[in-house]
Amino acid sequence: MNAVSKTKKSLFADTSVSKAPVMSREGSVSIHEETTGSKAVKYLLIGISVLFLFVMLVLPLITVITEAFKKGFGEYFKAISDPDTASAVTLTLKATVIAVLFNTVFGVFAAWAVTKFRFKGKKILVTLIDLPVTVSPIIAGLIYVLTFGRQSTIYPFLEEHGLEVVYAVPGIILATVFVTFPFISREIIPVLEAQGTDEEEAAAMMGADGFTIFRRITFPHIKWALLYGIVLCSARAMGEFGAVSVLSGHLRGKTVTLPLHVEILFGDNKFMPAFAVSSILVLLAVMILIIRSIVEYIGKDRG
Amino acid sequence: MYIELRDINKSYGDFKASDNVNFGIEKGKLVALLGPSGSGKTTILRMIAGLEHPDSGDIIIDGQRVNDIPASKRGIGFVFQSYALFRYMTVFDNIAFGLQVKKADKKAVQERVTELIKLIGLEGFENRYPSQLSGGQRQRVAFARALAPNPQVLLLDEPFAAIDAKVRQELRRWLKEMIRKLGVTSIFVTHDQDEALDVADEIIVTNSGRIEQTGSPLEIYRAPATAFTSSFFGQTSELEDYTRFKFFDRVDNYDKAFVRPEFIKMTKKDEIQKYKNSAAEGIVEDIAFRGNYIEYTVNSNGSTFIAHRALDEEKVEVGEKVDVFIYRLFITVGNEVRLLKNGSIREEMVVI
Ligand SMILES: Nc1ncnc2c1ncn2[C@@H]1O[C@H](COP(=O)(O)OP(=O)(O)OP(=O)(O)O)[C@@H](O)[C@H]1O
Ligand SMILES: [Mg+2]
Repeated sequence: MNAVSKTKKSLFADTSVSKAPVMSREGSVSIHEETTGSKAVKYLLIGISVLFLFVMLVLPLITVITEAFKKGFGEYFKAISDPDTASAVTLTLKATVIAVLFNTVFGVFAAWAVTKFRFKGKKILVTLIDLPVTVSPIIAGLIYVLTFGRQSTIYPFLEEHGLEVVYAVPGIILATVFVTFPFISREIIPVLEAQGTDEEEAAAMMGADGFTIFRRITFPHIKWALLYGIVLCSARAMGEFGAVSVLSGHLRGKTVTLPLHVEILFGDNKFMPAFAVSSILVLLAVMILIIRSIVEYIGKDRG
Repeated sequence: MYIELRDINKSYGDFKASDNVNFGIEKGKLVALLGPSGSGKTTILRMIAGLEHPDSGDIIIDGQRVNDIPASKRGIGFVFQSYALFRYMTVFDNIAFGLQVKKADKKAVQERVTELIKLIGLEGFENRYPSQLSGGQRQRVAFARALAPNPQVLLLDEPFAAIDAKVRQELRRWLKEMIRKLGVTSIFVTHDQDEALDVADEIIVTNSGRIEQTGSPLEIYRAPATAFTSSFFGQTSELEDYTRFKFFDRVDNYDKAFVRPEFIKMTKKDEIQKYKNSAAEGIVEDIAFRGNYIEYTVNSNGSTFIAHRALDEEKVEVGEKVDVFIYRLFITVGNEVRLLKNGSIREEMVVI
């Protein structure tokens, strides 16, 4: 129940929304015809949107698919079964999984800390969480190169322990983690904020420990937001180009992710293979979209 | 004393939410923390519960200093102002939670929860979610949930605030009975004086972070000890200059004078009344029907105050001239209160 519902009014209001969806994304809101004037306006607006979507999204997607299959299935499979492609897929998935795992743990902890405790410097922490969204990925990549590269003061230490970051897999993972940093916590924070701390306090009063409180009280509240955050985080992690590009060094078969691989192929004027590899990313994106819709649908239903 | 607070201070930034708070509560008593909004009632309750820490002072429960014992280990039941029921758990699971956390065995949990559900009269609602209950039902679930682990102390923060007037009266009677039956030492917060007077064994009056007075409802109502309590209880009206009413002792440099409706006898000009000769003339300014009595706003000697008349007494009209006789009144000097009696009553007693 709502923490701030001290007054009669808000408490009663609570009854009507208490099974409200946890998802922060709402479905499209249909505006009543009377409020927008005529039907013509309505269809004009819809038409413009559809046209825009077609030109900006559908057309490129169709191009990717047609270009990929231009020379037939045989060539297509040859292109995507190339060892460099296979290694790019593996690396992309690896970076994605690690980034999602790390950011899930971090995101939940950060969101929990920010919403359930009072401490100094909370505002700074919240701002820091959002930092990766505001910083250009290229800059982020450069910062890591400067921090872990040859010029860095900690480089001798890293070298001594055989830790390669720049132009190596750890760098790619680091960059992916950084860029997708806020995606999960930002989904959870609003949900936890709206929920308040009453239920947790009530559970603590009954002798529950921190983990039990999280598992039985907090988690059910954030379940769907968390899943949604994971979906978004995965999508972003797979597609990351900028920061990864700076840190990768483009060592084929070693530090090349799918987006980088596409770029390399494209640069070599190998258009068909470039589109074929792109189609893998498109496929992954479509899968994520479907999962996202399912999560949203179920989440809304269950609240 | 079973629960004792000694010299408790608590500040939020510059704001003093608890200012040298001292009180003790005997075992098994039902005590009301009564005071205006923002007077620090919730703060006191939360410190006893362990959800908030005093800056200084000792909290003692059952002879043990509990300041450093975390909330989860204090064995206190807490009913939140907003109930804070677990939204994603059924009524059954809500009540069972405290027992499950303590690793009670399944059968014992089942039995205890069933017993409590019966006690709160919600049989058949076990599998409902809090959002599917009415305000009063939620309140009772919150009560059962707090009681499930058999706490020695029960704290309730404005347990009836969110419930409409009629159900509220029923529910507070019910709660009083339950607490009596179970014998659990309880403190409940309220800013409704009727509620405190009606339910509590003892009332602790708070005002701007301080304890104004503690005592039984009768004591506090009859003999308010501070300026604040004298004006807080009853339907008090302030008198402009009480010395204009005859037969009261003069007190120099008094601050304020208060009367309550029960201190006043208001009669129509043609009605017979024992102290008619000592009464002052007044004029009725407003009338309000209050169900079992009629409330009159009267102006007399430059003061406006409230007087009551029973339903079966003849009606008085707005603008009608009446006689008002004041039996007694409170005056405050600094933070002290004095009860002044009308001298004409004394004189007659002497004559008789
Ligand atoms: N966490 C907090 N931070 C800052 N100030 C607070 C905090 N909690 C309470 N206060 C302040 O302390 C004072 C006492 O608050 P408290 O909640 O104890 O009042 P209350 O008597 O319970 O009032 P009400 O009847 O409105 O619930 C209030 O002025 C409030 O603004
Ligand atoms: Mg309060």
